Amino acid sequence: MSTLARAAALVAVLAPVAAWAAEDTVPLPRGWIGTTSEWVRGFGIAFALLNLALLAFAWRSLRSGGVTPTARGWLFVAVGLVPLMVAFLSFAHGLEGSTTVAACGSCHVMTPWVQDLQNVKSDTLAATHFKNHYIRESQCYTCHSDYGLAGTIKAKFEGLGHVWRYTVGAYELPIKINQPYPNVRCLGCHAGSQKFINASGHPKEEMHALLDGSVSCIACHGPAHPEQKRAAGR
Amino acid sequence: MIPREIPARLLRIAIVMIALFTLLALLVMVHTTPIIFTLFMFIGQPLLLLALLLLIGAVLADLKAKELI
Repeated sequence: MSTLARAAALVAVLAPVAAWAAEDTVPLPRGWIGTTSEWVRGFGIAFALLNLALLAFAWRSLRSGGVTPTARGWLFVAVGLVPLMVAFLSFAHGLEGSTTVAACGSCHVMTPWVQDLQNVKSDTLAATHFKNHYIRESQCYTCHSDYGLAGTIKAKFEGLGHVWRYTVGAYELPIKINQPYPNVRCLGCHAGSQKFINASGHPKEEMHALLDGSVSCIACHGPAHPEQKRAAGR
Repeated sequence: MIPREIPARLLRIAIVMIALFTLLALLVMVHTTPIIFTLFMFIGQPLLLLALLLLIGAVLADLKAKELI
């Protein structure tokens, strides 16, 4: 094996290790006990497993003696009480978990978008936001849902539509956004920041055009995703 | 008079329903995808509701059979 090949192999092995180590260099705050989401998940799994055990006890007690006071007690806990806790925890975790990039990428049609998002060499708007940590987590969801409770509800209903269309195959490739991307989603974070205010491309007198959507942020700052990039390059 | 086997049978169905619900909930917590979460919302939670109704119905039927209510 030549020296060059050996060096290349060493770099190939060490690069991911170095990247992992670099990510791990920021120490967690003192007294770190995990995130709320991790605790919800942990408790949820524990309660679900406990409930399966309780159900087994309830089943056995029902088989051996019919509807006895003991069986009723087991049933009250295993069918009535603990499942309500499991329902609450799994709903909370599912609601949060379905906003992650991994959840969006779980439908294979989204793979090219997620790959581009996570590609450090990509210069699309989505990848720029991702690699520079402009958005810390749930990057797809953050940009593709409106602000506030109404935005969350709307996004969840739209997500339901996506799941349905994906499951029954009622979609066309390439996937396209179903309406022009609203500027308010960009402005929700960027408007008011000094970088935005002082940029020559954002004169005050042009703000109305951004707010009414007659000028799109994407028109100057795009492409947001690789498909638009390819279309623009044609 | 309500036969004694009916409440027991209803309760067994309720237990199976809750077991299915719990497995779906476990799946949501171990590996959340939009499809699994949708299944949990539209199959798991109605199963929980039905099981609770069966539990209440069976207990009431049992109490009635014993002429306690």
